[in-house]
Amino acid sequence: MSAMRVDAKVVMLGKESVGKTSLVERYVHHRFLVGPYQNTIGAAFVAKPIQVGDKVITLGIWDTAGSERYEAMSRIYYRGARAAIVCYDLTDSSSFQRARFWVKELQNFEEHCKIYLCGTKNDLVEGDRSLRQIDYHDAQDFAEEIGAQHFETSSKTGSNVDELFQKVAEDYNNTALQYMTAEETGVDLGQKKDSYFYSCCHSN
Amino acid sequence: MDGEAQRATASWENGTLAPVDRLRFERADSPTPGLVEGTEPGAGQKSAMFVHAQSFEDLTAEAEGEAQREALLEKSETDGAEELEVLNIASESKSKEEDVSSEAWRSHRKHVFVLSEAGKPIYTRYGTEEALSSTMGVMMALVSFVEAEKNIIRSIHADGCKVVFLTKSPLVLVGVSRTCQSDKEMLRELQYIYYQIVSLLTLTQLNHIFQHKQNYDLRRLLAGSEYLTDNLLHRLDRDPGLLLSAVTCLPLASSARDVVSASLQAAKAKSLVFSILLAGDRLVTLVRKKDQFLHHIDLHLVFNLVGSSSSFREGEGWTPICLPKFNTAGFFHAHISYLEPASSLCLILVSTDREDFFNMSNCKQRFLERLSKRSAYQALKEALKCPSYSVAQVGIPELRHFLYKSKSSGLYTSPEFPVVYQSDEEQERLMGLYQELHSHLHHPTRPLRSFYRCSKTENLLAWVTSGFELYLCFSPLGTKALAVAAANKLMKWIRKEEDRLFILSPLTY
Ligand SMILES: Nc1nc2c(ncn2[C@@H]2O[C@H](COP(=O)(O)OP(=O)(O)OP(=O)(O)O)[C@@H](O)[C@H]2O)c(=O)[nH]1
Ligand SMILES: [Mg+2]
Repeated sequence: MSAMRVDAKVVMLGKESVGKTSLVERYVHHRFLVGPYQNTIGAAFVAKPIQVGDKVITLGIWDTAGSERYEAMSRIYYRGARAAIVCYDLTDSSSFQRARFWVKELQNFEEHCKIYLCGTKNDLVEGDRSLRQIDYHDAQDFAEEIGAQHFETSSKTGSNVDELFQKVAEDYNNTALQYMTAEETGVDLGQKKDSYFYSCCHSN
Repeated sequence: MDGEAQRATASWENGTLAPVDRLRFERADSPTPGLVEGTEPGAGQKSAMFVHAQSFEDLTAEAEGEAQREALLEKSETDGAEELEVLNIASESKSKEEDVSSEAWRSHRKHVFVLSEAGKPIYTRYGTEEALSSTMGVMMALVSFVEAEKNIIRSIHADGCKVVFLTKSPLVLVGVSRTCQSDKEMLRELQYIYYQIVSLLTLTQLNHIFQHKQNYDLRRLLAGSEYLTDNLLHRLDRDPGLLLSAVTCLPLASSARDVVSASLQAAKAKSLVFSILLAGDRLVTLVRKKDQFLHHIDLHLVFNLVGSSSSFREGEGWTPICLPKFNTAGFFHAHISYLEPASSLCLILVSTDREDFFNMSNCKQRFLERLSKRSAYQALKEALKCPSYSVAQVGIPELRHFLYKSKSSGLYTSPEFPVVYQSDEEQERLMGLYQELHSHLHHPTRPLRSFYRCSKTENLLAWVTSGFELYLCFSPLGTKALAVAAANKLMKWIRKEEDRLFILSPLTY
């Protein structure tokens, strides 16, 4: 049980039950839990080291609850995030509306946070095309408009999940140099220079 | 208060216990059960761990105050029957899960409904809220109708069925029960549900919402939390802790427990108010800020939150939580995590500062390091292998089961259910019997000090003093004299085991 440092804060945002927790589960623990859906309460934090070139970068991932109940408090979870994975369910158009809400929120309050737009549950759509409610190209257009990366993933099959987080880490690594010279402003929980150590017993 | 204690001790009719003046002995010297609060087995050495002395009364006092001010409305048998007809009108919309017009839906033992003062459905235990909107409308109409006359509706009794109302602006809670529970017991359960909702939103937010928009559909904000209320209701049927207003501990040698407590105490932080270590539904230890007390209701809400969700197994949880008995206005922030991925040991660090996640995470780390260094962790893990004990250990053949609560510490102990009460139905039946005894002992106008009851299936003895509450279940073949002797023997056993069964030296930071 060693202590290690968080390099980049990553926040998962999106409507409830779009599959944020499943995405983190798949990426961190390489599994997909079946059984009754358990909504996240508040938020869960997990750290995950990831290899980028010859470097190891530790992502501090905040998996937030989608319930509206926590909306007023969401800032404490995304503040200072370097990356936000904004999720929507490919089979639920209302979840895309919610994703737009989060994008706006981030644009207003976290301009330095890179946005990754992620359509989830791709396996369902592949199994039955008629289930798709969000067109790939529409989402792609929106992503370009807001300067975001766009992914479609399945936590069930694992498709595109590692790629998503790998991209997040690489982008962080590429921009980290830029930031080193930039002035640090504000409270930045995941990032503060020296003091934030935590257990990594949850990561493998 | 002193007079109360006197009366309590004097009323124990058999007089087999030591007279009052001999009870002030040092705990170590005397195996005699203390009848006075603070000397009974399980009483903490320092101050109590929780706030109350009379927690049950505390819980219902508010409602009773109202009762004195307002006339009690009880419908006659026939009127009540009519009302229930009305309640049975189901709306046209079909529920996916359960048809609310079906006999099965109607015959559930206990229904609970929550609605807003505008009559909007917020929660139903069975079926869906949509399907019940007209039923809830009728309930609200009843409440308002009576209120218009400056009265308050408390309950309706009819046809083996009881409808109990609890108005807690801006919410109205309604319980419909076919059990023999008293109104007071049902009110207590409704209070719990009310607090459960407040713990998710705070009362301030609730009031704010409904002041802004009377018609607000609160289910939007409660979405995804229904299972917490479902689970709480399930616990109310089964968990003696909720009945007794107490919590139970993981049996653990006091030497090990003291190390765990001291390690938690050392891992403190400025914003930290409570550190709670749970093993499943059992308390291992609780360390609190000096002068801050955690009410057992708040603690049960925390137990329910942790026990209902696997969400905290995914990583380190960080969630706002209102502890309504502490303060209904604001949120604490709780750091919730298991000590190891598959462990039942869950640590809850309650902080006042929502920015303090990493600080709390750090406290957990320091706690773990200290714990492992002093090898108490191993002892703790050993203790997890037998989180309960069998009644056979007490050595009273006719004793089947018991509940013992030390009033001054707010802790209780109880053995696992014996073979005769293995099925869920049997366990709930036994809990129902205890509830009945509890109602008798805590009757609002005619409280009893002891109660003995024989039936074909078991004999029951209940006994309350200012120091403790004891409920015993015997095989039906015994006599009252045997039961009384057994109670005394049991008290001695509990005294002997109290180091292991209770938290005798709670710490503060
Ligand atoms: N078929 C399929 N189902 C998925 C996938 N991802 C998630 N689900 C299911 O969708 C439901 C919700 O998943 P969660 O990951 O818990 O959703 P969440 O976004 O974390 O929800 P909140 O915590 O309430 O905000 C669960 O029943 C999952 O099994 C996927 O890729 N494919
Ligand atoms: Mg989740």
